[in-house]
Amino acid sequence: MKGLLRRTIGVAMGTLIAVAGVAGTAWAEGEKIILVSHAPDSDSWWNTIKNGLALAGDQVGAEVEYRNPPTGDIADMARIIEQSAASNPDGIITTLADPDVLSGPIQNAVAKGIPVIIINSGTPEQAAEVGALMYIGQPEYDAGLAAGQRAKRDGIGSFLCVNHVVSNPVVGERCRGFADGLGVELGSSMIDSGQDPAEIKNKVKAYLSANPDTQAVLTLGPTSADPTIEALKENGMAGDLYFGTFDLGTEIVKGIKDGTIQWGIDQQPFLQAYLPVIVLANYKRYGVLPGNNINSGPGFVTKDALAKVEEFAGEYR
Amino acid sequence: MSEATTNTADKDERIKEISRFRKAMIRPELGSICGVILVFVFFLLVARDSGMFSAEGVMNWGLVSAQFAIIAVGACLLMIAGEFDLSVGSMIGFSGIIIALMSVTYGFPMWIAILTAFAVALFVGYINGYLVIKTGLPSFIVTLAFLYILRGLTIFAAIATTNKTIIGGVRDAAEGDWLASLFGGKIFYGFFVWLADIGVIGKFVAGNRAGEPVIDGIPMLIVWAIALIIFAHILLTRTQFGNWIYASGGNAQAASYSGVPVNRVKILMFMFTAFCATVFATCQVMEFGSAAADRGLLKEFEAIISVVIGGALLTGGYGSVIGAALGALIFGVVQQGLFFANVESSLFRVFLGAILLLAVILNTYIRRIITGER
Amino acid sequence: MTEPLIELRDIEKHFGAVIALAGVSLSVYPGECHCLLGDNGAGKSTFIKTMAGVHKPTKGQIFMGGQEVFFNSARDAIEAGIATVYQDLAMIPLMSVTRNFWMGREPKRRVGLINVMDFDKANGVTMEEMKKMGINLREPDQAVGTLSGGERQTVAIARAVYFGAKVLILDEPTSALGVRQTSNVLATIDKVRKKGIGVVFISHNVRHAMAVGDRFTVLNRGQTLGTAKRGEIEPEALQEMMAGGQELAELEGSLGGTV
Repeated sequence: MKGLLRRTIGVAMGTLIAVAGVAGTAWAEGEKIILVSHAPDSDSWWNTIKNGLALAGDQVGAEVEYRNPPTGDIADMARIIEQSAASNPDGIITTLADPDVLSGPIQNAVAKGIPVIIINSGTPEQAAEVGALMYIGQPEYDAGLAAGQRAKRDGIGSFLCVNHVVSNPVVGERCRGFADGLGVELGSSMIDSGQDPAEIKNKVKAYLSANPDTQAVLTLGPTSADPTIEALKENGMAGDLYFGTFDLGTEIVKGIKDGTIQWGIDQQPFLQAYLPVIVLANYKRYGVLPGNNINSGPGFVTKDALAKVEEFAGEYR
Repeated sequence: MSEATTNTADKDERIKEISRFRKAMIRPELGSICGVILVFVFFLLVARDSGMFSAEGVMNWGLVSAQFAIIAVGACLLMIAGEFDLSVGSMIGFSGIIIALMSVTYGFPMWIAILTAFAVALFVGYINGYLVIKTGLPSFIVTLAFLYILRGLTIFAAIATTNKTIIGGVRDAAEGDWLASLFGGKIFYGFFVWLADIGVIGKFVAGNRAGEPVIDGIPMLIVWAIALIIFAHILLTRTQFGNWIYASGGNAQAASYSGVPVNRVKILMFMFTAFCATVFATCQVMEFGSAAADRGLLKEFEAIISVVIGGALLTGGYGSVIGAALGALIFGVVQQGLFFANVESSLFRVFLGAILLLAVILNTYIRRIITGER
Repeated sequence: MTEPLIELRDIEKHFGAVIALAGVSLSVYPGECHCLLGDNGAGKSTFIKTMAGVHKPTKGQIFMGGQEVFFNSARDAIEAGIATVYQDLAMIPLMSVTRNFWMGREPKRRVGLINVMDFDKANGVTMEEMKKMGINLREPDQAVGTLSGGERQTVAIARAVYFGAKVLILDEPTSALGVRQTSNVLATIDKVRKKGIGVVFISHNVRHAMAVGDRFTVLNRGQTLGTAKRGEIEPEALQEMMAGGQELAELEGSLGGTV
C-alpha cells in the first residue's frame, strides 16, 4: 500500500509538471485578450469562434484565450468573467447571455479599466448599458423577424421552432421574431428539444406526426438542425417541409445543397471572434476605435454561392 | 481512570506504541490537507503573477470554493449517515425558481418567497428521506428520480408562468428586504475601504464605481459557508446527534438495536442537504439577480467529489466536515486557478480526475491505519 | 430459590404458514448462566428476538419479576433491562470504542447554549469499564475495527452491564472466535454472572456451553426438548438432543466421538 501511495504521488507530480509545461507555452508577446462564452463544452458551433479567435490572435500578435462554463451554467460564467478581470487582461470579449447575471461582473471589469466588447448574445443597447466599447453580432429578434418575413413571402403560415437551449432567452428571441414575422402566435410552436441528438430527432418526429399541418420548421443551430435533418429524412418530409435554420455547419450546408433546407441564416461567428480581437489590439496600441456597433449578420445562405461556405464550414464559416 | 493510561505495566505488550507525531498526522482530513498544500504550491509556482493571489483573485476562487463548501457540508453529513442525495443540483434550480416566481412574478415580499423556498426544500428533503426509509431502496435511485422530477418541475413552472426559463429582476424585488440581505449582502465594507485607502487592494479606475475598492466586503455566501462548516463540524464531532449520524451510517441495524433513532437521523440529514442546496440557491439568486431553470447542473457530483476528496467513505459511517470543506477548497482553487494559470480549460477535468484519484487512494490508506480495516 | 428475572411460557411464533416456535418455555435467575442450545434453524434466533422485543410472540406470556410484560419494540425490552449482544451487529468498526460504548445513550454536558457530548466522562467511564473486563485500551478513541473479535464482544458486554442490564442475551458470542479469545469471552461471562446478572448464552457448541452454563435448554425444530441443570447431564447427551436423532449418534461413532 505504501509503495502504491508513493508511486501515485510520483505520477501526480509528473502530471502537474506536464500541465505546468502546457501552461508555460501559452505565454507570448503582445496583448492578452480573453474571450468568455456561455456555451457548454458540448456545443460544437463555438469551434468557429475558437478558430477565428486564434487566427486573429496570430495575425495581430496578441495572446488570446477562450473560456467557457463547462455545463453552460451562466452563474459559473459570471465567475469566469470575474476571474478574467482579476487576471488583468488587455481586453475581454464576452456575451450577454443573461444580462441580470452578467452585467455586474462585466461592469466591474469595465470599472477596473478593462475594455470589453460584447459579442453574439445581447443587444447593442444592453452592451452600451454595461459600458462595453461596442457590440458585434446579430441582433437575434431582428434576425428572426427577417427570417419570418421571408418565410411569409414564401407562403408559410405555421411552424415548429426546435429550441435546444430553452435556458437562453436571447436565443429564444429568434423564435419570437420568426413568429412575429409570420404574423402568428408563438404559442406551443416552440419545443424544448434538449441537447441530445436522438432525443431531438424523436421529439421533432413526434411533433410533426401530432401536428401534420405544420408548414415549416425552424432550428436554432447545428445542435438542433442536424437531428432535424435526420428526422425529416426518416419520415419522408425532407424537401417538402419548409426548413430554415440559424447558423451553419457541415450537415446544414449539405442540407442546403440537397434541398432539405431552404436557407440558413449565417451570423458569421467568425467575425464575432476575429473582429473584436483586431479592434481591441488596435484600440490598445493606437487608441483607434470604430464609431459604431458591427452587425456580423444576418446573411441568408441559399443553394447559390455555397462553395466558400462549404469549403470552410465548421472551421471558419 | 488515569491510572489505566499512565501505568505502563498494565499495557498489552502486543499493542504497538504510536508516536505522538504519527497520531497527530493520521486523521481523516490528512488527505485533503496534503491536497490543499499540493494545489497551492502548484499554483504559486505557475500562476503567481497572474492576479490569482491578488485580493480579487482570492475573492474569486474563495467564492467558488464557498459555493462548493455549502453543498458539500450537507452532502458530507448525509454521506456519513450512509445515504446520497443526487437531487442537490436540481434542488438548487428548483429553489431559485421558487424565489424568483414568488417575488418577481407574483409580487410577494422577498422574505416570504425565501421562507417558502426553504419550506418547500425541507419538505422535498423529508420526502426523499421518507421514501428511502420506507421503501428500503438505495437512496441513489430515489434521489436520482428526484433529480429528474425537480428539474422537470423547475422548467415547467418557469415556462408555464412566464414563458421563459430565466426570471430576472430579483435584485430589484429584494431591495431593502431584511431576509434577502442575509443571503445577498456583504459585510465589513468599511474594512475594505480602509484596505483600499492604504493601498493593500486596488480601486476601480473608471465607470460609475470609480474610487471604490475592487473588493467591497465579504459576501454573505462566504459567511454562510463558514457558519455551516462550523455548525456541522460541532454537530458531528461534539454532540449526541453527531454520534447518531456516525452510527446510522456505520451500521444502521446495530445502531437501531442500541436505541439510535436511525430513520429520524437519516430523514433529518436529507432535509439538511436540501437546506444547504437552498442556501446555495438563495445566495446565487440574490447575487446575480435572476433564477434560471438550468442552474445547479451537475452540482450534486461536485458536492460528492468534494466530500470524497475530504476523506469520507462512500459507504457511510466515516468522514469529516473539515475534510469536505478542504475538498471544496481544492475543487474551487483548481477550477478557477487553471484559468489563471492559462491552462487549456478542457484539461480541468483531467486535473480534477487526477486529484480525485490521488485523494481517494491516500484516504483509503489513512483510513486503514485508523480503523484497522484489512 | 429466588424468583426468576424473566420467565417465558409456551412462546409460539408463526411467520405466515411457518411455525418457527411451537411452545418454548425458559426462565433465567439472577446470577445464572442459562445456555440455549440448538442446531441452525432450531429457532434460537427467533426466540431471543422475541425475548429482546424485536418480534412479538403469536402466543404465550412473558413475565418479569412476577408481572406479565408486553414488549412493543426493542426499545421497550432494553428499558426493562434486557440487553442483547448480537453476533455480527454488536459494534460499528469504523467508530471509536467510546462512541460505540455510549451509542444511543450519550452523556451530555451543557456548553453555552448547546448540549454537547461529555467526552471526558465518556472516555473515562469507557476505559474504566473495559479495564474491569480485563481489556486495557491504548486510548478510548481508537476505532473498534482495531480490536480483536473477542475484545469487540467484551466491549458490547461491558456496555450492556454498565447500562444496568438485568438479563444479558449473548447471541453466539464465541462462534467466530479463536481458542484464546473464546476463553476471554467465557471469563467475561463469568464476571458478569457474579454481578447477579442473568445471562442467556446462545451457542451450538456444547463445550463452550458446559464451560460456563448453570442450566441448559435445548431447542429443536421450534420446541424445547427440556432443561437440565449443570451436573445432571453429560455433554454427549446434549449433543445428541441438539442433533435430534440417531444419525448423528451413528456418525459420532464412526468419527470417534469428536463431533
